[in-house]
Amino acid sequence: MSEDILRVSDLSTRFFTNEGQVNAVESVDMTIERGEVFGIVGESGSGKSVTALSIMDLVESPGEITDGSIEYRNEDLADAIRDDHPHAVDGEFVDLLSVPETVHSGLRGTSFSMIFQDPESSLNPSLTVGEQIAEAVEVQRRASSRPRSGRARTQGVQYSLGSYIASTILPSKKFVTEESKTRAIELLELVGIPDPVKRADEYPHQYSGGMLQRAMIAQALAGEPDVLVADEPTTALDVTIQAQILDILADLQERTGMTIILITHNLGVIARMCDRVGVMYAGEIVERGTLEDVFVDHVHPYTEGLLGSVPDLEDVGGRLEPIEGNVPSLLAHEMGDGCYFADRCPRAMEECLHKPPDIEGEGSDEHVAKCYLAEHPYDESQALPEGYFEDRTMGEVTADETSSDETTEEMRGDD
Amino acid sequence: MSMPKFLLRRTLQGIFVIWGVVTVLFVLRAVSPGDPATLMLGEGANQELIQQVRAEEGLNDPIFVQYADYITDLVTGDLGYSWRSNREVEAMVIERIPATLELSIAATIVAISIAVPMGVISATRREQLSDYGATLFSLLGISTPNFWLGLMLILVLGVWVGIFPTGRRAVGFGEALMTLVGTGSPGELLTWLEYIALPALTLGTYFTALITRLTRSGMIDELGKPYVKATQAKGLPLVLTRYKHVLRNTMIPIITVLGLQMGTLMGGAVITETVFNWPGLGQRFVDALGIRDWPLMQGIILFVAISFVVINIVVDALYTYLDPQVSVE
Repeated sequence: MSEDILRVSDLSTRFFTNEGQVNAVESVDMTIERGEVFGIVGESGSGKSVTALSIMDLVESPGEITDGSIEYRNEDLADAIRDDHPHAVDGEFVDLLSVPETVHSGLRGTSFSMIFQDPESSLNPSLTVGEQIAEAVEVQRRASSRPRSGRARTQGVQYSLGSYIASTILPSKKFVTEESKTRAIELLELVGIPDPVKRADEYPHQYSGGMLQRAMIAQALAGEPDVLVADEPTTALDVTIQAQILDILADLQERTGMTIILITHNLGVIARMCDRVGVMYAGEIVERGTLEDVFVDHVHPYTEGLLGSVPDLEDVGGRLEPIEGNVPSLLAHEMGDGCYFADRCPRAMEECLHKPPDIEGEGSDEHVAKCYLAEHPYDESQALPEGYFEDRTMGEVTADETSSDETTEEMRGDD
Repeated sequence: MSMPKFLLRRTLQGIFVIWGVVTVLFVLRAVSPGDPATLMLGEGANQELIQQVRAEEGLNDPIFVQYADYITDLVTGDLGYSWRSNREVEAMVIERIPATLELSIAATIVAISIAVPMGVISATRREQLSDYGATLFSLLGISTPNFWLGLMLILVLGVWVGIFPTGRRAVGFGEALMTLVGTGSPGELLTWLEYIALPALTLGTYFTALITRLTRSGMIDELGKPYVKATQAKGLPLVLTRYKHVLRNTMIPIITVLGLQMGTLMGGAVITETVFNWPGLGQRFVDALGIRDWPLMQGIILFVAISFVVINIVVDALYTYLDPQVSVE
């Protein structure tokens, strides 16, 4: 395919809570190509959303990106940054984690944009939909009118408290201009909202869920971003609406050539939309490859388990095979030394009690898995005795209730 | 439902509330000890005169007849005469309204202009020094009694430092404004400001503390909502996220509290007015209470009740403009 646009390596995001340190994202590597749809799939609590928020620089206290790099290809930005932060620039790439945070957050809206899971609460209930989309248009308009280089290029769009106070009296000082409002109406039309002129003046509670998600997409597209992060964009919607939303996303992606990072727990959505996929478990990417690599030639038993828990139309009446057990606690002090999936893995071996090797290779074409099975086939003589983990937990009498022997009937759907 | 219909319905409800208030007042007067005629004439009045007054005032009539007369008088706008000064109650109430109104409004302005910024700072710098400062201030503000605070302000700023004159209302806001318009001299307006500063601060302190707490907790609540993250994801400047989105939504419930408090201030400035010798309704009420001047007390309470009802209707109507999810239905 084409060139890389985003190189995430060794990304770790931790939350420092009262119960202890939570390793929500641990050493995640992925390379995303311009114009592709990259899927991230996993159960609730596997770190998918936090990975997305880390890319957007939207991780909030007590969370913190503690390690790694997020390199973003943008020639203008690299030129603007090079003098002040030479160490952060590598060719056309800028490492967003080694420049001041304002640079990273300043890319929101214009370089990176995001749509969220719950459209009903992701728009402000007391402003019209048109006004909120126009705000995003305005961010883009103001950002593109700033100089191509220099300090202003590396900052987000600025607006002072003084201007805001003045704008309550003087309409000319308002952030949102009439042009932006007109553009907002065009965007609403683009995502297929009927009668957009009238709809732009309505409030979110007057929209249906599917319409709101369209409006959210319009808002995210307003800034003409390079990368669109879609965090469970269809989870809160009816099945028929889900298909419409995915069609809109696919259509817009084709037209604009933007890159989409699609986060979902729904393998059907992945199969329909994505070029490549990363499977996340317990904060790590455990398998990564093309759609075919992951759906057909998968290596990691977790990926296999995920696929086994999806109903198959050609095997009506056949039993689903749920993955036994639950997602482990991500509290640092409760996590074991070995593979985090070992206690649920049907093919756990003795060596799985030691951490499997990190995924090698930065390239985007490779099919990789964080599993010993990627190195050699399953060796039955090394298998752990049945009930090994239950015995261990009982013997140690730990307070860890998450490794109890409950069975998840199906993958948990919602967060 | 349309707005005029809504206003009509609320007005009818309001009339019902006021009827309740005046009925309770009537019952209170009927059961409270002391003969009105004796109160009117003084302790040493002779029996004949007392009987004559009782007959004139209808005090010998059956209680239901008295009640019917009383309601008829109120409906026709006759609030009666003060038992002591023998002046019309209506005039005695109306002449005191400006002083109370300007004190209430000044206190509200003081409260809003201090409380909202403080609440915002507190919420956006959580667990930092400024947040602790604001929290401590609101705790002190809520727990400091008005009479003590008033006296301390008079002592420190009025007497020791001597920057604010106190003890009376030198000039009314209306007159001061007329002088400014008429002669272009702001002198009287400044005098008005000097005299009202300490009473307004005293009356507004509790209110400031209350609104600070409400703004802080409302803002923290609102900041945690998903749409805030979405505004950040689209690159909106922080100022707009905080003020145009979050603060605006925070203020919607606070407007209700503001309205209710305005009603309370209209009648509740009793202590502050007494401490500062401020010639408002509160002070007049305390005087009337001391001498059991029932008609005057009734007049003042009736005024406060009507203010409450009117302010509530205004707040509800305002709500439909502020919060698009609320309609008059």
